[in-house]
Amino acid sequence: MPWYLYLALKQLFPSGRRFPFFTAISVLGVALGVGLLVVVTSVMGGFGYEIRRMIVETEGEVQIKSRGLIPDADTLVAAVEKVPGVEAATPYASGVVMIVHEGRPAYPAMRGLDLATVGRVVNLGHYIRLGSLDELDDDSVVLSSELAQTLGVTVGDRIEIYSPLMIERLRSDELFLPREVRVVGILEIGHQQLDSSMLYCTLRLAQDLYGLGPMVHGINVRAKTGVGEDDLAARVNASALPRGVQAFSWMDSFEEFLWVLNLEKGMIFFLLLFIVIVAAFSVMSSLLISVVRKTREIGLLGALGARARGVAACFCAQGILIGFFGTGAGLILGWFMLAVRNDVVLTIARLTQREEALRRFYQFSNLPAHTAPGDIVLIVGLTLVISLLAGLIPAWRAARLKPVEAFRNE
Amino acid sequence: MSEASPVLQATGLHKSYRSGDRRIEVLSGVDLAIAPGESVAIRGESGAGKSTLLNLLAGLDAADAGELHWDGRRVTPATATELRNAYLGMVFQSFYLIPELTARDNVLMPRRIAGRINAAARSRAESLLDRVGLAERSHHLPMQLSGGERQRVALARALMNQPPLLLADEPTGNLDERTGDSVIELLLSLCLDTRTALILVTHNPSHATKTQRVLTLRSGKLHHG
Repeated sequence: MPWYLYLALKQLFPSGRRFPFFTAISVLGVALGVGLLVVVTSVMGGFGYEIRRMIVETEGEVQIKSRGLIPDADTLVAAVEKVPGVEAATPYASGVVMIVHEGRPAYPAMRGLDLATVGRVVNLGHYIRLGSLDELDDDSVVLSSELAQTLGVTVGDRIEIYSPLMIERLRSDELFLPREVRVVGILEIGHQQLDSSMLYCTLRLAQDLYGLGPMVHGINVRAKTGVGEDDLAARVNASALPRGVQAFSWMDSFEEFLWVLNLEKGMIFFLLLFIVIVAAFSVMSSLLISVVRKTREIGLLGALGARARGVAACFCAQGILIGFFGTGAGLILGWFMLAVRNDVVLTIARLTQREEALRRFYQFSNLPAHTAPGDIVLIVGLTLVISLLAGLIPAWRAARLKPVEAFRNE
Repeated sequence: MSEASPVLQATGLHKSYRSGDRRIEVLSGVDLAIAPGESVAIRGESGAGKSTLLNLLAGLDAADAGELHWDGRRVTPATATELRNAYLGMVFQSFYLIPELTARDNVLMPRRIAGRINAAARSRAESLLDRVGLAERSHHLPMQLSGGERQRVALARALMNQPPLLLADEPTGNLDERTGDSVIELLLSLCLDTRTALILVTHNPSHATKTQRVLTLRSGKLHHG
C-alpha cells in the first residue's frame, strides 16, 4: 500500500482509538446525503414505475392510432395479432361526453371497450373498487372514483349521457334524447387525472354516441413477456398497417408526461445533491483544520523524503475515503429507510389520522419504490467526485507547505 | 565513491533574510566536510543561525550561494527530497512522531515513504526498537510514551534507512538532564556501531565534548572549538 494511502487510513482510523470522532461525523454527513438521495430517487422512481404499470395495464404497451378513424377494426386486430411479439389486441373508441346526475353535470373522457377482447389486453378488473366489470353492457357504464364522488353517484344509480353528436343533430332540427345508463362499477386506477374524469362503456355504446358505425379510434396492443415496447411498436409499424395508421409505444404516447416526471425527479435529485455538497464542504473544512493542526507532521514527512505530491495525495485520499465510507453507509441507510418506509408512512398517517386520505389519494397504502441501478451508479459516482474535490483544496494547501516553514511555524 | 570521501561537503554556504528594508546575513560562507562515521557538534548562541545551517545541510532550505554534496552527490532543491530519504536521518528537539502511528510504525515510516516495506524492514524496525530499549513498547502510541522514549523512537526512525549521515537538532532540548544524557549516549553509541556520521546541534557543552569535533557558529562562519 502506498505510504500516503496508509497514512490517510491511519489518520482517519487511528490505532488504539475506538471511535474516531472526526471521521464518524464526516462519514455521517455524506451518508445522510447519499441515504436521502437513494430514498428520494427510489420513491420518485417508484411513482414512475407504478404509473408505467398503470398505463400498461389500462392501455397496453403499444397503441395503434389513426389521424381519422380506423374502418375495419376486426381485420386490423387479426393482422396485428399475427405480428411476432404481440400477445393480444383490442379496439377502442374514445371521446369527451357530458354526463348529468340529478342536475349535476360533468365532462369525462369516455372510452368504449370491446368486451370480447379487452380482458386479454388490459386488466381493468384489477382496479374495480365497487361493482363489477362483468355487468357492463350497452346500457351501463363504469365511472372513475373521483368522478363518481363529484357527481354523488354510486353503483346502481342512473346517469344521462350527452355526446357532441347530439349538438350536430340539433343543428339539423332533429330531436335527440340523452342516453340513460346505469352505473355498474366504480374504478380507481390511482392516477389522479384518470380517476377524476374517466367513463368506461362498451365499444358499441361509444360508437353509437359518436355515430362511428363500425369504426374505431384506435387499438391497444399487449406485448408478450420479454418483448420491449419500442421494439414491438417498430414491428407493428413494419407490418402492413393501413395508410395513416401508426403504432406508438406507451412511452411515445406519454412522452410529455414522462418528460415531466423525469424533470421532477431530476430537479429533486439536483436539490438533494446539495446535501452531499454541504457535507463535502464540512469535510473540506475539517481537512483544512487538519492541515493546520498537522503542520509539523507535514513538515516531518518532507524531512523524511516525502514528495509534495505524496503529501497532497494523503489529504486527497482522506477526502475520497470519507466519500467512499460515507457512500457505503449511505447506501445501507437508504436501503434500510426504504425497507421501513411503509411503516414510517403508516405511522405518520395513523398519528395524524389521515389513513383514509392516504388510501384515497394514492390508492396504494404502500409507498412505491423502485431503485434503478443507473440512479445508484450516478449517486455513487457524483458523491465520490464531490468528495475528491473536497480533498483537493486541503491537499493543495498541504503540498505547498515547505518543511522548513512548517518547523518554523511550529 | 571511495571510503574516505566525505558523506557531507558544504562549500561557501550563504544565507540571508530580508527584515523590512534590511538584509540580515545569517551565514556568510560556511565550509564543512564530514567524514564517514565522524561525529561533529555545532554550538552557537541563540540566533547565531544553527537551525538555518542545519536546514541548509538537510536540503530543507536553499542557500543563496554555495554548494552542498551528500556522499558525493550534488544536492539541489530538485533532488534534495528524494536523496534525503536515502542519505539522511534527522532527529528534532520536539521528536515529531506521528501521533496516529505506533512506535514501530513511526520507525517504519522512512522505509514506507521509500516504498520498500517488507518482512526485512519490519524486522529491522523491531531490532532498532530493541536497540533503543523499547522492544516491549513497539505497539504503543507516542502519547503513551515519555519524552525520553519518544526521542528514542525518533532516533530509531532516523536510522531506519541506514543513512550515512544523521542530523540532530537540539535532541535533548525538551528532556530533563538525566534523560538527555542517556539519549546523547545512545545517539553516539548507535552512530558509532553503525558507522553513521553525526552532526549534533546543541547548547549543552558536555554533550558537545562527547563528539569527535566541536565547531562553533559565530558571525555566520564555523570556527573550531
